[in-house]
Amino acid sequence: MKHESIEKNIPLMSILVVIVISIGAIIEIFPLFWIDKTIEKVEGIRPYTPLELRGRDIYVREGCYNCHSQMIRPFRDEWERYGHYSLAAESKYDHPFQWASKRTGPDLARVGGKYSSLWHQSHMRKPQSVVPESVMPHYPWLEKSKLEYGNITGRMNALNTAHSIAYGETMYTEDMIANAKADLEAQATPDSNTDGVTTRYGNKVAFDNFDGKAGEITELDALVAYLQMLGTLVDFTNYKDQERY
Amino acid sequence: MSEENKSVSTTGHQWDDEEGYPLQELNNPLPTWWLYTFYFTIALSIVWWILYPAWPMSESATRGTLGWTMHTQLREELAAAKQGRAVYEEQIDSMSLNDIVKDSGLKAYAESAGKAIFGDNCRPCHGQAGQNNTPGFPVLNDDDWIYGGKLANISETINNGRGGIMPIHLESAGGSFSEAQVNSLVDYVMSLSGMDHDAAAAAKGKALYNGDASCYTCHGNDAKGSLKGKADGEEIDDSVGAPNLTDAIWLYGSSRDVIYKTIAYGRNGKMPAWGEGFQGFGKQLTPLDIKKLAIYVHGLGGGQ
Amino acid sequence: MAQSTTATEKYDYTIVKWFSVMTVVYAIVGFLLGDFIAWELAFPALNAEIPYITFGRLRPLHTSAVIFAFGGSALFATSYYVVQRTCKARLFSDTISWFTFWGWNAVIVLAVITYPLGLTQGQEYAETIWPIDILITLVWVAYFINYVGTLAKRKDKHIFVANWFYLAFIITVAVLHLGNNLQVPVSLTESYPIFAGVQNAMIQWWYGHNAVGFFLTAAFLGMMYYFIPKQAERPIFSYRLSIVHFWALIFLYIWAGPHHLHYTALPDWTGTLGMTFSLMLILPSWGGMINGIMTLSGAWDKLRTDPIIRFMVVSLSFYGMSTFEGPIMSIKEVNALSHYTDWTVGHVHSGALGWVAFISFGALYHMIPKLWNTRIYSTALISLHFWLATIGVVIYIVSMWVSGIMQGLMWRAYDDYGNLVYSFAETVDAMHIYYVMRAFGGFLFLIGGLIMAFNVFKTIRQGVREAATATA
Ligand code: HEC
Ligand code: HEC
Ligand code: HEC
Ligand code: HEM
Ligand code: HEM
Ligand SMILES: [Ca+2]
Ligand SMILES: [Ca+2]
Ligand SMILES: [Cu+2]
Repeated sequence: MKHESIEKNIPLMSILVVIVISIGAIIEIFPLFWIDKTIEKVEGIRPYTPLELRGRDIYVREGCYNCHSQMIRPFRDEWERYGHYSLAAESKYDHPFQWASKRTGPDLARVGGKYSSLWHQSHMRKPQSVVPESVMPHYPWLEKSKLEYGNITGRMNALNTAHSIAYGETMYTEDMIANAKADLEAQATPDSNTDGVTTRYGNKVAFDNFDGKAGEITELDALVAYLQMLGTLVDFTNYKDQERY
Repeated sequence: MSEENKSVSTTGHQWDDEEGYPLQELNNPLPTWWLYTFYFTIALSIVWWILYPAWPMSESATRGTLGWTMHTQLREELAAAKQGRAVYEEQIDSMSLNDIVKDSGLKAYAESAGKAIFGDNCRPCHGQAGQNNTPGFPVLNDDDWIYGGKLANISETINNGRGGIMPIHLESAGGSFSEAQVNSLVDYVMSLSGMDHDAAAAAKGKALYNGDASCYTCHGNDAKGSLKGKADGEEIDDSVGAPNLTDAIWLYGSSRDVIYKTIAYGRNGKMPAWGEGFQGFGKQLTPLDIKKLAIYVHGLGGGQ
Repeated sequence: MAQSTTATEKYDYTIVKWFSVMTVVYAIVGFLLGDFIAWELAFPALNAEIPYITFGRLRPLHTSAVIFAFGGSALFATSYYVVQRTCKARLFSDTISWFTFWGWNAVIVLAVITYPLGLTQGQEYAETIWPIDILITLVWVAYFINYVGTLAKRKDKHIFVANWFYLAFIITVAVLHLGNNLQVPVSLTESYPIFAGVQNAMIQWWYGHNAVGFFLTAAFLGMMYYFIPKQAERPIFSYRLSIVHFWALIFLYIWAGPHHLHYTALPDWTGTLGMTFSLMLILPSWGGMINGIMTLSGAWDKLRTDPIIRFMVVSLSFYGMSTFEGPIMSIKEVNALSHYTDWTVGHVHSGALGWVAFISFGALYHMIPKLWNTRIYSTALISLHFWLATIGVVIYIVSMWVSGIMQGLMWRAYDDYGNLVYSFAETVDAMHIYYVMRAFGGFLFLIGGLIMAFNVFKTIRQGVREAATATA
């Protein structure tokens, strides 16, 4: 076929363009949904607790991903600096994923538990107070803004819908949704009854007064709760690389 | 307008020719170097597809004849690194901390390794070379220790973490003392290191300190802290971690305000546990790493 | 110049004029934002504890402002200009034209309002919240209809090559936008994407890479294919090369997305495909450069006299360089070093400033006097703009190469014992001087932009005045 016939025919040219640009997309994207090895089989991965979920929303809102990656690559230096390489399974509940593409600041994939909440409070208020070289902005408003969580069940339901459209299963149980508000408050109030949270989300939930201010739940509570769980779910002491390529 | 390049004709088409120079296209062939380099990149890619995992199939992707994956590469890198360090690490592993520091070669190695770990894990709290920047995080290069500056103390701190609890005293915050009483305690504490204070209030504070408020049980009768102080004539268990209040070195700061806050609302500084005391959150360090760190911290200036 | 009066009547130049003016406006806005965030990285106190201007919120605003506002307006302006002139037909529908103008500007204004407020979807280059996404979709469908409708009215049976590129760009961007914005709303301003983790990553970078490939490359090649032969007054070098590189480019580009995800939790096979397709992409990318440069050859004498040609030559050089650098960065071993560092940022800006912005400047300087039926106000100012912009880009790119490679090497530097040498904080400290240099380079680029704005403003005034005296 001579190219003349294509370049004289708009519908033909348009259809050919669509076909030509679809091939690569189909071959690269679709198999990720069916090849079983794509996501490792590990224990411990759970959806975010309501408080962590709100923290994650704030992380996205503030655009932390513009400076911080959450994806440790399998290299010796990253292994020594940040810990075990990130697994696909560790972000299977990440809507949207936050791997990012720039490390102006360090990787945060395993920052959970690395510092105390007190440190995070000082750091978020004024990063240069703890790390003088830091170029990170100050976030003083987080501890001053009350956390808005009136619609927490709406968010969890939306995530359930989203997750089931793409993966055919929900993220949160009805029990989790029904107790969302109570669970959120309990996680930020360490001396309250936290059994419910543990039953629903497992024993790796950190309870703390994350913003250092008792009796009120601020955006900083949520953000630090989120940071404190990052990378903590999988127990790597016995983890072996899985046959995956 | 005729072309300089007469050997090549145009395709004969012309666009936008009402004004200015009309758009035309020459019939030049594909440059051969272009075409052959393009073929070369295709050939190169095919080689790559054979050697490495490449094409997705129904169950899995093609494996590649080299058997390479990014994880096999990592394991090789880590194994090589381990081998390179084995000379030192095997000795460090088997020797006691006190013996290691006597061997200057091993000590130099341990300090280099300790520095690397310190930089990304401890520095954010304790500052570069252990000089802290923020209230609440102790300085590590002076000889004022809360939990002891011997190698064993330091290694224990890193291994199990610390969490000194300074209780709440103000009534409205859950303690059992009035605001006036807390203020008098503040005056007393300030008097201990020779700062400006109200002498009458300090006297009342002193009585409380050694009486109802029982500060002395942790900080000691002479307020020298749990490391050096004595309460009722007995050594205080130094794991309490109560700082010396007489030495003008402050964990949280020396202003009246800050001291008031400490006494009124309490403190609970947390040093994470990196070794056996590790709670299953975050990053765990190996016993080897902890040894190297202890030696590095010990060598910062204040080691005993 | 009698011809252009008929052209002014025959074609809808008004819409092109408006988009051209907005291109200049958004250029200033986008460069200003870019330079401001560059200073923020050098001096973080500039974040000023004001939520709305923190780096994390402004960076996406910068990328959207330059790509979608500046780049998008330039593409609307030139594609509407080119399609009319090469088809000898007025745009399909004036109503649709205006809808695309107001719709697109509404999208931009909404982005300018929402990003600083922290309303974002949190995926690079796709940060607009879902109601804006819907508006984008509507504008884009209208754009497609208008474009194809105009093509259908063409006088010559053959569609000119520039239009192939514009057409492929319009179609592909529609597909990408829809594919990467499947969201479940929570409220009017918030939503969650249906994909998570690895799949979300793959789809995001299928989108992100092809936003580069089609928005910043294919479409601007369309621009190049019209304005370079016009300005150089030379026929396009090779029709055959146009055909082969067009189809090869759009076919291969789609596959290259995984080079943004090397060594991540995506399986290895994606990386091999991403890398090999990027390597195969060098020559098809260079097809455009060769066609452009060979078209200009024979007009080299103009390089001395015509600063517009200079913009075009330099843009092709940067295009060639960044489409060579990109494939090199796609090689896994190289990417292991470059990924996450300023090297990527340097690469981005050699493409974005050197290629995209330069070819747009060339096109604007060519087109604006024609639209207002006058001459450019000052050729000397074009020259000045050219030099400021060129020096600015070079400073920007060189400082980012140095800082990027240094950063990558510092992260993996080992001492003789095999222990890491630098803490992360020390690497941050080492970047400071390069961040200052980059911000200075960006500042020169911005000043160049302001000079262009002044020159364009004066040219338009002059055109309007001449038109008034002509009718009087
Ligand atoms: C302008 C870039 C920038 C932005 C935006 C930014 N950070 Fe940072 N961040 C840094 C830099 C640089 C460091 C390293 C120095 C330091 O610790 O402050 C850092 C360090 C950190 C650390 C300590 C990591 C470690 O392992 O030591 C945390 C946690 C963190 N940032 C969280 C956040 C969060 C949460 C946000 C968004 C609300 C954010 N950052 C936004 C640049 C940034
Ligand atoms: C989250 C912040 C944080 C991090 C990270 C941290 N520390 Fe600490 N560290 C503290 C605090 C707070 C204390 C004081 C604890 C107390 O008052 O009970 C402390 C105490 C110590 C002490 C005892 C000081 C004394 O005077 O007795 C040593 C030694 C020490 N840390 C070493 C380290 C080392 C080594 C690391 C890295 C592996 C590290 N720290 C990481 C917060 C931190
Ligand atoms: C249960 C033991 C305990 C008791 C009782 C106690 N303290 Fe403390 N105190 C501590 C510990 C542990 C710290 C260090 C806290 C930290 O590291 O976060 C501390 C810290 C302080 C500090 C801050 C020192 C600095 O360097 O910033 C002051 C001041 C202080 N205590 C005064 C008092 C006074 C006055 C009382 C009695 C009203 C008292 N403490 C009772 C354990 C105690
Ligand atoms: C005055 C001119 C400009 C300056 C000073 C500037 C500055 C910056 C800065 C500081 C960043 C953030 C880099 C980082 O996070 O470390 C950035 C990112 C970016 N800019 Fe620019 N910019 C300019 C013009 C442009 C133009 C014209 C374009 C596109 C046409 C562009 C496209 C981008 C893109 C795509 C990114 C994101 C890069 C990435 O994620 O890797 N910029 N710019
Ligand atoms: C053959 C052509 C090209 C290839 C193969 C290519 C390849 C790459 C690679 C490997 C990266 C780094 C990804 C990473 O490590 O995160 C990258 C980033 C980028 N490139 Fe290119 N590049 C090409 C041309 C261009 C051109 C012409 C432009 C601009 C006009 C451009 C704009 C970008 C942008 C904006 C990014 C940053 C994406 C992000 O992380 O946010 N590229 N490219
Ligand atoms: Ca990026
Ligand atoms: Ca709180
Ligand atoms: Cu790309």
